[in-house]
Amino acid sequence: MNEAVMNELVDPTMNARSNPETEDSLNIEYTDTVGQPLCEKAKIRTQNVNVFYADNQAIHNVSLDIGAHEVIALIGPSGCGKSTYLRTLNRMNDTIDICRVEGKILLDDENIYSKKQDPVLLRARVGMVFQKPNPFPKSIYDNVAYGPRIHGLTRNKSELDDLVEDSLIKAGLFAEVKDRLHAPGTGLSGGQQQRLCIARTIAVQPEVILMDEPASALDPIATAKIEELMNELKENFTIVIVTHSMQQAARVSQRTAYFHMGRLIEVGETDQIFTNPAHELTEKYITGRFG
Amino acid sequence: MNNTLNNTDLVKKSLRKRYFKERLFRSLGLVSIATAIIFLLILLADITSKALPAFSQTQLELTVELDRDRLGLSAQPDEAELMAADFRLVIRDALLAQFPEVTSRRDKRELYTLTSMGAEFQLRDMVIDDLSLLGQTITVPFMADDDVDAVIKGSIDRTLPESDRRVKDQKLAWIETLEASGQIDTAFNWHFFSSGDSREPEMAGIKGAILGSFYTLLVTLALSFPIAVAAAIYLEEFAPKNRFIDFIEININNLAAVPSIVFGLLGLAVFINFFTLPRSAPLVGGIVLSLMTLPTIIIASRSAIKAVPPSLREAALGLGASKMQTVFHHVLPAALPGILTGTIIGMAQALGETAPLLMIGMVAFIVDIPQSVADPATVLPIQVFLWADSPERGFLEKTSAAIMVLLFFLVAMNAIAIYLRKKFEKKW
Repeated sequence: MNEAVMNELVDPTMNARSNPETEDSLNIEYTDTVGQPLCEKAKIRTQNVNVFYADNQAIHNVSLDIGAHEVIALIGPSGCGKSTYLRTLNRMNDTIDICRVEGKILLDDENIYSKKQDPVLLRARVGMVFQKPNPFPKSIYDNVAYGPRIHGLTRNKSELDDLVEDSLIKAGLFAEVKDRLHAPGTGLSGGQQQRLCIARTIAVQPEVILMDEPASALDPIATAKIEELMNELKENFTIVIVTHSMQQAARVSQRTAYFHMGRLIEVGETDQIFTNPAHELTEKYITGRFG
Repeated sequence: MNNTLNNTDLVKKSLRKRYFKERLFRSLGLVSIATAIIFLLILLADITSKALPAFSQTQLELTVELDRDRLGLSAQPDEAELMAADFRLVIRDALLAQFPEVTSRRDKRELYTLTSMGAEFQLRDMVIDDLSLLGQTITVPFMADDDVDAVIKGSIDRTLPESDRRVKDQKLAWIETLEASGQIDTAFNWHFFSSGDSREPEMAGIKGAILGSFYTLLVTLALSFPIAVAAAIYLEEFAPKNRFIDFIEININNLAAVPSIVFGLLGLAVFINFFTLPRSAPLVGGIVLSLMTLPTIIIASRSAIKAVPPSLREAALGLGASKMQTVFHHVLPAALPGILTGTIIGMAQALGETAPLLMIGMVAFIVDIPQSVADPATVLPIQVFLWADSPERGFLEKTSAAIMVLLFFLVAMNAIAIYLRKKFEKKW
């Protein structure tokens, strides 16, 4: 499994670039992150994070705060390290043997990479929705009930039923599936599957939800539903979303962070980033001159 | 424009060549499949035609007088007394009554060989089952001797000159007399499926070998399945990637290629000589075969586990499932069809394995039907080997029949493998 994940994350463009525009961009001297990477009410603080795949450095000295109850979008060209960065936030990178993380990542001021931190507990607090909908080959009910079951969140069947129903309602899927809760989750359409995956994640009642291009495999209508859903979810959760679609970032997020070549180039209010970017690279990217 | 036309012509020209190559390849494929099917059919037809006679048995109807005095039995004989009684006497009397003209010792002895050696046990068992038969005169279809069987089934040619024939003129005349009086008939050979091996072809059965194979495979499955699946899970999901694990992987692959007789020698040296486990027993056979089956199941299970999409593991891990929960709740169920298929293929291999079992004494001549894994037993392929090695004509058909039984079990196991794969296969 690890190789497959690796291939997805380590983009060849990181080392070999053919695009003349990006060639140019290399000449720009890298300075520190532009904008406001820090915020006052931070849920997660990342400080000087470096990530390596064996000897290959994928993330260079990234410091970024993620505020409570905000939606922050991570954008940037393929292979810029935004997915890798996202995966450090719930230690999903632990599953890759050759992956090494340096620096501090604090969730509520506790270092999640300290020896004391249990990754299982961390992932219950920091949930994740993946790029490709990946429901378990089980019934819709069992998909949603799986997390609460393994964590022992409910005391009896009726509590579990309520939790499953509540999660499906929050994910905007309940009306569509209420008559076939025991049909296989893999039989749903792509957009429904992704909302099922979101329901499954919020059933564990995490504090933070990480979304790795959650709508990239979906059609525009399903995408619109997911985006609408994110607006509702931010009432209860902190959301970090990686996206390739700048329109999506503009629509759903309050803050946007632009990654380039493993470095965090610019962070700021979404409006400001898209209307008045401070860094030359950000401007080139959002105006579509590379990416 | 000119250039485009040229290209079209060039493509057209090359098309003919490409299609020719494709047709050639297709017909070669068809020829090879046809060849394979023809050989398979020849093999099956040959085995079946040779085996069919083994499923019927010639019987000789004789009227025997179960006289207590002649059998030397008391008024109320107990079982021990019955076991000791000589039932041969009354059968011989019946034969003599049929052919009163036979008087010389030599001729009498020849006459007595018309019925099988098993006839007296057949009669004894009947009497033990129903004591009221004693004192009566009953007509019993006795098992005929293998020579009589061969004459009736036509495998001994009656038209040959006497000197070239195994059954002499005198005996042939008796057989023909009995045939004319309607005392000879053939019936389905239940005995073949209900008894163990024997030196007499007509008495030899396959039940001992079937049960021997069953117990052996039971031990093999019980040992190799859990060990192999656990090893595969550890190597795929938990093991660190280092030199030591690579070394183990290479050795598992090498183990799959070790000649099976070497495992037999190992079994003899370690399990029988060192651990002094019983010889010729399915227990040792099963242990030896599980050594052989382990690499097969491990390799199949590993590739099945490897084929489980990483997204499934990520989904579980992302929800906060522990590594162990991820493996047992999601990875293993998804990999199960592949694991089961590999296991059954390994078992089918073990069922057909002969060489290592020769080394641990399962090639012994064993009449008793094994009652447990520690009893001496033989297995189906070795039974085939033993019968094929026997000189008596009657064993020829038994050999083919045993092969048919073996093939039946192999086909059945493969069918189960396909069924399980279809049943547990899930889509995502």
